[in-house]
Amino acid sequence: MRVLELDSYVLLLSGKDCLQFLDGLSTNKVDGTCTTVFTKPNAKIIDMVEVICVGENVALVGHNEFKQDLVNHLNPRILQQDVQMRDISEFNKVYISVERYPETEKVTIVETFRGWIVVAPTSISINATMDEEEFHEHRIDNLIPHHGYEITSASHPFNCGLHHLVHESKGCYVGQEILTRMRSRNNTGKSLIRVEGNPDDATTSGKTHSLAIRRV
Amino acid sequence: MDCGTCETSSPVQLMTPEVVDVNLSISNKAQEMLSDAFGDDRSMALLVGVLSGGCSGYMYDLQIVEDTDQSCQEINIDGFRVLVPNASSHLLDGIEIDYVDRLMGGGFKINNPNAESSCGCGESFA
Repeated sequence: MRVLELDSYVLLLSGKDCLQFLDGLSTNKVDGTCTTVFTKPNAKIIDMVEVICVGENVALVGHNEFKQDLVNHLNPRILQQDVQMRDISEFNKVYISVERYPETEKVTIVETFRGWIVVAPTSISINATMDEEEFHEHRIDNLIPHHGYEITSASHPFNCGLHHLVHESKGCYVGQEILTRMRSRNNTGKSLIRVEGNPDDATTSGKTHSLAIRRV
Repeated sequence: MDCGTCETSSPVQLMTPEVVDVNLSISNKAQEMLSDAFGDDRSMALLVGVLSGGCSGYMYDLQIVEDTDQSCQEINIDGFRVLVPNASSHLLDGIEIDYVDRLMGGGFKINNPNAESSCGCGESFA
C-alpha cells in the first residue's frame, strides 16, 4: 500500500446549515461528501478541500499552509446560519493512498480524484510507505495537481487541473462570475500539462517528465 | 476520524461582529408594495437579514414572518415592523429598502452604503 502523510488541517463543522453554507461559498455542488474549491472574488484559489460528511458533522480537509486564509474567508460569513467550526487537526493525521485503502475502524477513508484520502486519529498508527518523490512521480504520470505546487493562491481552478470541481450549473458563489465567463467564452487560460524533461516553468519536476501550467 | 475526541477540541474563534443599532429607511414605492403584501394585518414583519453566499460573498435575505427565533432588533417604520438580526446588523446599518418596478429583475432592492461591491442581480454584495 503506497501511502504518504499530508500536511493537512481538519476543520469540523456542525449545525444544520453546514452543507448549504459550504455550497454557497465554493465552486462545486456541495450536498454531501465531495471535493470543492474556495476562491476569492478574482477566482484565485484560497484552498481545495475534501468535504467529508461524518454523521451529522462535516469535516473539511485542506492544506495546512492555506488554513488561516480559509478560516478568514469563512469566519465573517457565518452570520445567521447554524454553523459552528472546530479545529480538530491536532487529533487527526491525514494521508493519501494511491491505491484503495482498506476499511479500518475509526479511520475515515474517501475516494477522490487524487487517490484515497485517509483521516486517522493520532492514536492509530499508519505507516507512510511512500516518499514525496514517489508521490510526485505518481502525480506527474496521472496529471494530478497538488497543494503548494500547482494549487496555489496564484492560480484559478481552470489553470491547475481542477476544472472538474467547477460545477457547470450551480448558483452563485464567490469567484463564480469570472469562472463562468471564462468557461462560456471558452477562454480558460493556461492549463496543467505533462511535459518532457525538467523545464524552467515546471511546477513539479520528475525524473523524466514534469508538470507545468502553460497556455496550450 | 475520532469525533469522540474531536468534541473536546475548542471551537475556532469566530469573529463576533459588533451589534450596531440599525437605522434603515423604506422608500415610498417599497412601502406601497409592503402595504399590498401585508394588507391590514400589521402583526407580520419584514425580516431583513444577510446570509453567506452569492457572487460577492453575502446575500440579502428578505422574508415576511410573524416572528423569528433569531435575536433581532425590531424597527417600526410608518407602521411596518422590520426585524434585523443582530448577527447581520453591522452589514445593514443605513440601508434603504426600495422597490424596482421592471419587467425583468424587478422587486425589492436594497441600497446599502456598507457594500463595497455588488453583483449584477443585486442580491449579493461584499
